[in-house]
Amino acid sequence: MVALVRPDSWNLPLFLHVLGAVVLVGATAAVALAATRSRESLLLRRLAFWTLATVALPAWVLMRVTGQWTESREDIPGDPGWLGVGYIVGDAGLIVLLAATFAGWWSTRKPDRRWPAQTVTVLAAVYLVALLVAVFAMSGKPE
Amino acid sequence: MGAFLLLGGAVVAGVFTVAVLRRERPSEIALLLGLTRWAVFAVSVGLLVTIGLGLWLVEHVGYDWGDAWIVASLALWVLAGFLGDRGGRQQRETRALAERLAADGDQPSAELSERLCDPVALAMNWSSGLVAVAILGLMIWKPGA
Repeated sequence: MVALVRPDSWNLPLFLHVLGAVVLVGATAAVALAATRSRESLLLRRLAFWTLATVALPAWVLMRVTGQWTESREDIPGDPGWLGVGYIVGDAGLIVLLAATFAGWWSTRKPDRRWPAQTVTVLAAVYLVALLVAVFAMSGKPE
Repeated sequence: MGAFLLLGGAVVAGVFTVAVLRRERPSEIALLLGLTRWAVFAVSVGLLVTIGLGLWLVEHVGYDWGDAWIVASLALWVLAGFLGDRGGRQQRETRALAERLAADGDQPSAELSERLCDPVALAMNWSSGLVAVAILGLMIWKPGA
């Protein structure tokens, strides 16, 4: 209901937060898809790495910074569970993204080794699921 | 969740579309355009979920069907679907050509490069994504509500 009556000054940070989250979800899905099929394709390994470095990480920054900006405007009372889920997935996500980016870079350097590309696949898939859980929690705001 | 499927799918399609513009070998182009099928599926489901739940939400919350932002959102939803469908059709034909060329020697082709860089198809695909972002903006600002 808060979303229905929020003041206009909350709209820009909220829009940018959602936009960042949407791009992050899309970029993570693209990385998971590319990495899954990258066993014999250096092209897809490079695509996974560059998507992480140039799309997913900047989107994470946009999502996280504007999320904090939105929260500072809303001054949400208490410590609701949906907000905690957002923080956990957001903050832990940076570690996952950095690890996946490093593994992605390594997979382009050592194309003969399988584990870096497999690591990217697993990390991207796990993070995608976590992001969808956070999206559900933050948009539905269950108690 | 519908909006995330729609816009997230558009981002996936955008990533593979940008990547394919730099390629010349038909097998690589076919591989990348093949992956966009997942994005098309997500966008299609997202379009259905957003319109279905969106119409239900208007009724449930009690918004006025004549509100400018609701009318504009519906018009933009139709436009996004139309542009995405036209751009997607062109991409399917390009993928089919790339698969044929890949099976027939996998040599770069001027026709394939021309199709990939077709400005009308690219404009339709990118516009479709931008229109979806505009819908997101309308959902948040709700001008005239």
